[in-house]
Amino acid sequence: MTATQSILAALLTPLLSAVLIAFFGRRRGVLSSIVSVVAAAGIVGFTLLAIRSAQNETITASFEWLTFGDFTIHMGILFDGVSATMLSMVAFVGFLIHVFSLGYMADDKARGRFFGGLSIFMFSMLGIVLADNLIMIFIFWELVGFSSYMLIGHYLDTDEAAAASKKAFIVNRIGDLGFLVGIVYAYWHFGTTNLSEMEGIIAGNSELISTTIAALLMCGFIGKSAQFPLHVWLPDAMAGPTPVSALIHAATMVAAGVYFLIRIDYLFTPEVLSFIAVLGTSVAFYAGFCAYAQNDIKRVLAYSTLSQLGYMAAAFGFGYPGVALFHLITHAFFKALLFLGAGSIIHGCHHEQNIFKMGGLFKKMPLTSLTFILGTLALCGVYGFSGFYSKDAILIAAGFESGPLFVLLVIGAFLTAGYMGRLVWITFFGKSKSEAAAHAHESGLAMTVPLIILAVLSVVGGLTQFWPEQLGGLIRADLDTLHHVEGYDAMHLKVIYLGTAAWVVGLLGALFFYGFGAKEDRLETKAGPIYGFLAGRLWFDELYNFYVANIQQRVAELLGFIDLVIIKGLIVRGSAGVVGAFSICAKALHVGSIHNYVYWFLGGLVLFMAAAAGIF
Amino acid sequence: MSIGLNAFLTIAGLLFAIGFLGVILRKNTLVIYMSLELMLNAVNLALVSFSRFNNSMDGNLFVFFIITVAAAEVALGLAIIVALFRRRQSVMVDDLNALSR
Repeated sequence: MTATQSILAALLTPLLSAVLIAFFGRRRGVLSSIVSVVAAAGIVGFTLLAIRSAQNETITASFEWLTFGDFTIHMGILFDGVSATMLSMVAFVGFLIHVFSLGYMADDKARGRFFGGLSIFMFSMLGIVLADNLIMIFIFWELVGFSSYMLIGHYLDTDEAAAASKKAFIVNRIGDLGFLVGIVYAYWHFGTTNLSEMEGIIAGNSELISTTIAALLMCGFIGKSAQFPLHVWLPDAMAGPTPVSALIHAATMVAAGVYFLIRIDYLFTPEVLSFIAVLGTSVAFYAGFCAYAQNDIKRVLAYSTLSQLGYMAAAFGFGYPGVALFHLITHAFFKALLFLGAGSIIHGCHHEQNIFKMGGLFKKMPLTSLTFILGTLALCGVYGFSGFYSKDAILIAAGFESGPLFVLLVIGAFLTAGYMGRLVWITFFGKSKSEAAAHAHESGLAMTVPLIILAVLSVVGGLTQFWPEQLGGLIRADLDTLHHVEGYDAMHLKVIYLGTAAWVVGLLGALFFYGFGAKEDRLETKAGPIYGFLAGRLWFDELYNFYVANIQQRVAELLGFIDLVIIKGLIVRGSAGVVGAFSICAKALHVGSIHNYVYWFLGGLVLFMAAAAGIF
Repeated sequence: MSIGLNAFLTIAGLLFAIGFLGVILRKNTLVIYMSLELMLNAVNLALVSFSRFNNSMDGNLFVFFIITVAAAEVALGLAIIVALFRRRQSVMVDDLNALSR
């Protein structure tokens, strides 16, 4: 197989699986889960083949998809070092999550729909990773949005899931509007939306670079990667099944926003980059606080994801896309691990998600607990774990670029260790605080094996020097640039001290404050107002609800009134009324007597003769 | 004694008037139909008279056309009346008022 064929096979395998499940697997849960997992394994296989046969070269292929006049939409692939790295991560983490789902969803009645959704998601995600032009990225971008909607709403008989899926979909549309306008603008500006061609144009004439285009395309990233002010959908999206949270809302889809930025990094001007850096830092800082007031294990992790996405955005904003990609990859490993661990806990505790009702799980679920703690250490950036290397690089970059942002990001690291410590101490240690936690049991092999593999990756994934040569070229290049910045050694030392202080202080502080297996949130009982402030999460949801209910609703009512009176009343009913009045007159002429018609005929004749004679 | 043009035209006018009143006043479609034919023939008579009076063939030529058309019209019209009778069992004008309902 040539590289192009392998890439195409990797892309189309999940589509085939989704089609098969949609047609034959909707009522056959076991069959469709097997089909989906085999497809996920197929993606891994084809990805490895593609990387092997590409031999470090950039593979491009494209064909005309639609032609309107002189405008043509192409479908194509651009397979370079960055997409190879991302593809391997998505394929591998995706496969592990598929396997985990076998165990987690074993009792679910709608497994066909679930695994079909996973397959269509994998297809769309690979489409984003491989796409070679903005329009194709947008199409797959919307497809991941759809699969995310479908999978968040998997438990569709609960109001929470139904509302969360709608919210995720609608909030993403707001960002995508900017993205779409950006694509149109880019086409108008460059005459193409092909990534390599645009890069060539900008390389040829750097004056063509446009702040407006970069800012508009950034809107898509803000929606998908849940940055300010569109971050509200991500915590709610936890209403979906836990493997979905791991796959879509931690490892791959939300990171697709960052990946998209990395793909088009040549389009960005310094102003937009600094904006992204500030945006990412503020999200990292804000989400770190929010996590303290969450009791749902998945929502704590969701805020942690927000915060880490903020770190990636910040790294990109500092001008190190490779570092952002590095953190994206390591984050995918340890956050997928944490979410799957949470899934295993939830499964073991009979769908109990409140951390204050768990406790003492270490003895009952040793494997899950151990891997979860390894993931926590990686997230906190403990020396030697994968998270350490990537977060370290981000903090060093921040230290060179901007003092205030560096301080905020370091505080973010302290916060991260603090809320993860809170989660770990309360969940795994102390005594069981509920019936469900007391009867917790270790999950089966389908769930623990992916956890173990991901735990290994979370520990060693940061050692880029041992990565295969074909992967992570950009990461190594950017890390190398960072190493040769003036004053690197001093900054590196400073960051190591601060980072180590962060996880030690955070984890131990959480232990002293909350204690082993606390029954209730001590912050809530001792400092209610602070807890209330954190639980309010700066009242974004309330603000949006107020806006929708009081401002948007008024505008909608005004438009409805205009529709009712002018369009429906005056124009539609009015024109119908005119025709109706005329027809009443015309109907009066139809008297139903032939003799009358003769008179009409005569009258008409007289009229025409008069006209012919020139009387009128 | 030769009969003048005026006599022919008077006869033609009378025939036309009879036909016209027949169309307007009679209730039976068949009779109305005959009255229509009468009017056509009144016109034919007038045309022939003018043709003779002017020593030209123009009028006669028209008459041939009118007769042809009238023949076709009769064939069609009678067929309609027969079809009408089969459906409605009546050819009286007063019964044919579906359009007013």
